[in-house]
Amino acid sequence: MTSRWWLPRRAVQTGTILLLASPAAGFTFFSGNLASAELAGVRLSDPLACLQAVIGSGVLVPSFLFGALLVTAFYFVLGGRSFCAWVCPVGFLTELAEKFSRRTRRGGRRLPLATGRYVLFVVLATVAATGVPLFEVLSPIGIMGRAVAFASLVPLLVPAAILLVEIFAAPRVWCRSLCPLGAFYALIARFSPLKVGFHRERCTGCGDCVAACPVPEVLDPLWQSDACRVRAGACTRCLACLDSCPERALSVGFRFKKEPLSLTDEGRPIEKSAP
Amino acid sequence: MTKERDDSGISRRRFLKEGALAPFALALAAAGGGTVYLRPGEAHGFVLRPPGAIVARRFLAACVRCGKCAQACPYHSIRLQDRGVGIGTPYIAARHTPCYLCPDLPCVKACPSGALDQKTTEVEKVRMGTAQIVDREGCLSIRGLRCEVCYRQCPLIDQAITLEPRHNPRTGEHTIMEPVVHREKCVGCGVCENACVLPKPVIVVRETVEVQRDSYDF
Repeated sequence: MTSRWWLPRRAVQTGTILLLASPAAGFTFFSGNLASAELAGVRLSDPLACLQAVIGSGVLVPSFLFGALLVTAFYFVLGGRSFCAWVCPVGFLTELAEKFSRRTRRGGRRLPLATGRYVLFVVLATVAATGVPLFEVLSPIGIMGRAVAFASLVPLLVPAAILLVEIFAAPRVWCRSLCPLGAFYALIARFSPLKVGFHRERCTGCGDCVAACPVPEVLDPLWQSDACRVRAGACTRCLACLDSCPERALSVGFRFKKEPLSLTDEGRPIEKSAP
Repeated sequence: MTKERDDSGISRRRFLKEGALAPFALALAAAGGGTVYLRPGEAHGFVLRPPGAIVARRFLAACVRCGKCAQACPYHSIRLQDRGVGIGTPYIAARHTPCYLCPDLPCVKACPSGALDQKTTEVEKVRMGTAQIVDREGCLSIRGLRCEVCYRQCPLIDQAITLEPRHNPRTGEHTIMEPVVHREKCVGCGVCENACVLPKPVIVVRETVEVQRDSYDF
């Protein structure tokens, strides 16, 4: 809430929903949804939707594949799961749910983050074996996109079910541990150049960043090893940690080599920490 | 802060939440999911897909459920399924709005994934299904009236549907003008199903069935 990144992030999330609704309002610069879309004449596709379609049907349209690669490259550069924190309408919804569940109950049993990887495997194995694109069938992202674009409201029971589970049983379980698309982006996020950097010399160990982080596990290595940035793919680049830190020990920036991050969040170079 | 509250032991409120509310919420969530995904099977196992749709089984995988075909359809003929395995896939409810087969096939052009085959260019060669008269006893034309609405409305009049005259044995002096669908011409657009004047259409679009020759040709 206090973060400088809160408003831009909410603006992008809201903008995505407006974009999804724009064809129904008569605008023509956008069509489709997050599975596949055409934005200003450019065809974009969800890489996981593309993968399932190609595996399941054996039909390969070059422009479809190109659109999926374009999206993959985009999220690779911008941190992989940044899709989850900035674009995904389900992420938006479950964040609101988490606010609510924090009020009712905090903590609770948490599935490990790596579960998503196995869900992703099950989805791909299912489509390869049976031709049923499991995630396209179940995807609350697709359901929400179509609810916005076509007012198909009955399927909204699925995101509603996720909300119920998250509020009363397992906080944030869908986005953290179950969503195969999130797991897919987490895989590419490990190698993404956009990372949250950590300046150990400034850290007082107050734990405010852990409290602000939707996936606090990704911050653990900062304490347990001499890591100088958040490497875990599960980091959604929501940047809530940045301004939660009273000492400004966290920053975000692009880096392509393995040295410690040397830019502050303002892009100003800082002196390197002593080893 | 909320953090401290957690450590203060299990209050009655919290006990109720963990013991009763969570299973209740899970049951409610399961009911919600079940409403969307558990549905009685399709009445006739056939869904009328937009022009150029590939074979049903592969279509379900190839379609990414983006709805671009529906957005491209100028008549709003294409709707998206909202239940079951086919959730989000396009279909045409011909009785409500049939496919008018635009010459430039905007739905096929809009499809990103090839679920609607890009090679579909000639509307006459589209095979969404085949019209069938499913209730010959109900059909007004076959009963001897000059209804013929399906025949007149068919975009391929005298090709996909023809009228075959024959003697009306009931009156002994009239003609029955029976509408006959020609499988090799019918595109399955559903205009006839939409036009049928009876409360329940007696001519409907069904799956195109190729005549099975190999079982009988020795």
